[in-house]
Amino acid sequence: MPAVIDPAKCNGCELCDLYCPVDVIHMEGKVAVVRYPDECWHCGACRQECARDAIRFEFPLAMLTV
Amino acid sequence: MARGAADLAVHDAVFCDELKAALARTERIGVSLRQPDGTIFRTQAMGQPGPYFINFDGKKLKPKMAIEVKRRKCEVLNRVQVTNLYLHDGELAGFTGFDIRSGDFYRIRAKAVVIATGNTNRMFNAQIGNPFNLWYCPANTGDLHRAAFDAGVALANMEYVRMTIVPKGFSAPGFNAFFGMGAQLVNSLLEPFMTKYHEMGNKAPRNYMVWGALQELKEGRGPIYMDCRHLKPKELEHLFFTLGIDKDTLPEFLLAKGYAKEGCLIEMTVSEPMQARPSELCGSGIRIDRTCASNVPGIFAAGDASDQMGCLHMAMAGGYAAGRHAAAYAQKIVHLRPLEPAAMAAEEARVFRPLERKHGVTYREFENIVRVICTDHFGPVKTELSLTGALAKLDRLDAARDELRADNMHELMRAHEAMNIHAVSKISARAALARRESRFHPYHYRADYPHTDDANYCGLMVIQQQPGGGVTTRLERLEYAA
Repeated sequence: MPAVIDPAKCNGCELCDLYCPVDVIHMEGKVAVVRYPDECWHCGACRQECARDAIRFEFPLAMLTV
Repeated sequence: MARGAADLAVHDAVFCDELKAALARTERIGVSLRQPDGTIFRTQAMGQPGPYFINFDGKKLKPKMAIEVKRRKCEVLNRVQVTNLYLHDGELAGFTGFDIRSGDFYRIRAKAVVIATGNTNRMFNAQIGNPFNLWYCPANTGDLHRAAFDAGVALANMEYVRMTIVPKGFSAPGFNAFFGMGAQLVNSLLEPFMTKYHEMGNKAPRNYMVWGALQELKEGRGPIYMDCRHLKPKELEHLFFTLGIDKDTLPEFLLAKGYAKEGCLIEMTVSEPMQARPSELCGSGIRIDRTCASNVPGIFAAGDASDQMGCLHMAMAGGYAAGRHAAAYAQKIVHLRPLEPAAMAAEEARVFRPLERKHGVTYREFENIVRVICTDHFGPVKTELSLTGALAKLDRLDAARDELRADNMHELMRAHEAMNIHAVSKISARAALARRESRFHPYHYRADYPHTDDANYCGLMVIQQQPGGGVTTRLERLEYAA
């Protein structure tokens, strides 16, 4: 799981959805979700725009262990 | 440094003449090339004869550019994937595209366009089998290389297969920052190896760094490491922070791997190959002239999508130049050229057809096949037989394009990206077949022609689709001072 969004912190501003260069983040109602986690580039553009510090990154096991 | 790939006449016009103004514009929108204390921090690397590179924090460059575009009241069609370019009497008439969220189909008449869609990624196998774990952005899939090629636009430098050195597990940019802190590449015998492959050692051109790493790995002296044993944990943390300017999440990746400690050796590897420029000082794609114009009136190009612009310096200077020349051209055109209704209807049907299929091939399956073929046949080592074999296999995949299915708009976008990657892989293989020499090895390494042949191949391999549908290649010689 790469970008992980905390729904409790998300204020629905949509900036992470707007800035994601690979169409991975979508709004579901008023909350942003990482709909296509396997396609995350780990660029961090979403996190840089998040004013609520709602986004963190979890690297897949394979990235950390190969 | 980019002999045989960089057209110096174009560089004079779209980089040297534009640079000062580009730097001023960059500072004006709020991105400074200076350090907080006002100084310029220069480094020497990648074969440069002196400290020509400037390190600066450009993380906010694209958002700042977007704000500037908004300030200038430009209309922006965000999230529109362009599907094809259309000509009328041999000149640009417009293009089609669709909104990847709403599915709205666009038919846009245009007097001029600037193609700035980068290079082509996801064409070769990547680390840990994830095609999105890439050095360059995986959203760049050669969409407009393919569309321009189909419209008769000449492409150049398409035969090159670019790679770099990345941390094991994470294909992220920024390895040059390590050298700035005195680190060096070593093999698993802890031997520094780069001077064996280039007199400049760790400051050699990027292709030599990759070549050296590949040889060490091939000859059984891998894994390779970035030797940071001289750095204290605090210095390593500073280094990782610097790397975060290259890629925001790289510092925490390196920390999660446990590298912020005394005696640190960071395991590195060779990245996935990609279709891209062979040097920091040129591009690969649409062949441009001194006005950033292609051979088709009305079609201009900039950045990595053009055959002459590479890296940020050229994108910033040349992108503006391309826009200025395109605008000047458009002002001379009195009437918009027509888009044929029948062609528009046919394209709309083609674009959305994958959504109608309940069964068929997914973009993941299709794209994976392309990657296996490209990796096995020219990723990166090539021969006449490997390339002709690749083309035969890639041609056999043509039928599967008509079986691609998509269950939603996101998958439809990916399906079109996959088809474009497939098309560009053929273009790249055909251009590589025509260059019977090696240049910038391993970026174009022909095992059957392992030496550089300046007498016959010092120039651009220009590939073009002719009106009848046939594909031609020709060498356009480039001259350099002795």
